[in-house]
Amino acid sequence: MIDAPGPWASGAFTLVEGHSRIDTEPVVIDGEDRTWLQTEDRSPTVRLHANRHYWDRRRGPRLAEVEFRNDLDRDRALDMVCDSVGEVDIVTEVPHAQAERVRRSRHARLVTVDAVRALAGVIDRDADGLPLADVRARRALNLAVDRAALVRDAFGGLARPLAGLTPPTLLTVAHRAPGRLRPYQHDPAEAARLWRLTGGSSRPVRLAALEPWAAVATFVAAQWREALGIEVQVSVVPVDRERETRRRLAAKEPREWDVLLLEQGSQSVDVPPLELHRAFVGRSGEFRAGPVDPTFERLFADLVAQTSQLRQVVAANRIDRYVTEQALALFLVAPKVLYAVNRDVDFDPYATSFELADTSVRDGHWSLR
Amino acid sequence: MSVLPGPRREPRGTVRVVDPSPLNWLYITYNTVEEPVRVTRRGKVRPAAMSRYRWRDSTTLEIKVRSDNRFADGTPLTADSVRRAAEEQFRWESPHPPGTHFNIDRRSRVEVVDDRTVRLHLPAVDGLALGKLRATHVMSERFWRDLGFGYARDESGEGHW
Repeated sequence: MIDAPGPWASGAFTLVEGHSRIDTEPVVIDGEDRTWLQTEDRSPTVRLHANRHYWDRRRGPRLAEVEFRNDLDRDRALDMVCDSVGEVDIVTEVPHAQAERVRRSRHARLVTVDAVRALAGVIDRDADGLPLADVRARRALNLAVDRAALVRDAFGGLARPLAGLTPPTLLTVAHRAPGRLRPYQHDPAEAARLWRLTGGSSRPVRLAALEPWAAVATFVAAQWREALGIEVQVSVVPVDRERETRRRLAAKEPREWDVLLLEQGSQSVDVPPLELHRAFVGRSGEFRAGPVDPTFERLFADLVAQTSQLRQVVAANRIDRYVTEQALALFLVAPKVLYAVNRDVDFDPYATSFELADTSVRDGHWSLR
Repeated sequence: MSVLPGPRREPRGTVRVVDPSPLNWLYITYNTVEEPVRVTRRGKVRPAAMSRYRWRDSTTLEIKVRSDNRFADGTPLTADSVRRAAEEQFRWESPHPPGTHFNIDRRSRVEVVDDRTVRLHLPAVDGLALGKLRATHVMSERFWRDLGFGYARDESGEGHW
């Protein structure tokens, strides 16, 4: 991260004002494996100017200046991009519940991307009083969820059902083939049968969600109650408790939930298991809640051993298949990422990050008048 | 279709952005810094500060640095810039905020073959090293001298790349 402005590098833009950094605190996951808890520290304005030395002329930069406004919260920013011109041009990470509002806007349009992100549940395989160490119970939790209804009701159609942990995008087709994985079917009867075979639960299941996914937790809980006939207690982790929740999970300390819903992304589609499957299941996984799985470790080591991209895809496919068959997470959906964008801005989003090198403004844009 | 770049379109206009993502710090980095590789719009790892690469054997990754690349301060980005980026990274046990899974083995040796060629000699095979180069930020000498990744602020690069 860049602590201060300066002509430090060769990217499409140069940081000329402000900072956007994080304060970090280490958490030991296992042995030498660590992750870092992060607390944001941003100046009210962060300003970038075009780097005229940038080598990739076809890509950009096409904008002279980018101003990040950190003095506005998301709701106020959405008001501005939808209802005015000149204050805000792009709002990222628009909540799905706000999509229709952006669509109806006079000044903004809704831009979406099939992001490489997975909304999934961490399943605590060590949970006392629950059969979650048993693959049949974990499959039951997955079979009880109607993903098509979840996509429709909680995401307004702007998500894709998840099969395994590799988000379905054009470029992950190969990772999910051959014998292409399908999402767990919604099969309440089979879910109930499997749950009964495990002996069932001696207490309620505690389903928690990070705050953005509260409605999803309510949806999933209702389906578990109906399909499995179990009691489900839903809790939402407030923003000011998220860091501690992440710390306890990463440090493998006792948890206040049995299944935790969170979203995790990958910085590329080349090897999704590095940031997704490993995070949920691996020895070094910051989200692993349960014992280390030797089979997974062997499959991951096989992935690391491949330098051929084709062999990496095959190895990643094996990992995804194993994690899915063992139901080592609650696979829900891959939410699309939504942006509200001024109509005079040509912005084409990236699947894994937020980059503006090839963004441009049209002749009618306020900044050119 | 020509693959040669056309005349540079003059950058114009300003956009104002509100980005609530907790990864904004990373996006500011990706918009201002290059790494040997970048990630395309659809998410594929592609050469960026390097023009191409090849695995010479299972533990040696050879990188060709672009010949036409400069930092924003006008100084050239060379094979030695990539060497410095890698070796600065290897000073720390856990430089990357997501965690140690982005580490390239610190025991790796970086060989500058010529002004445009760098070889990364890994102590063991790591097929994920190419993607991990996305976290190897290539910076100017001025950056390393005046700021560094947390060096001026915290005197440490741990968790600060």
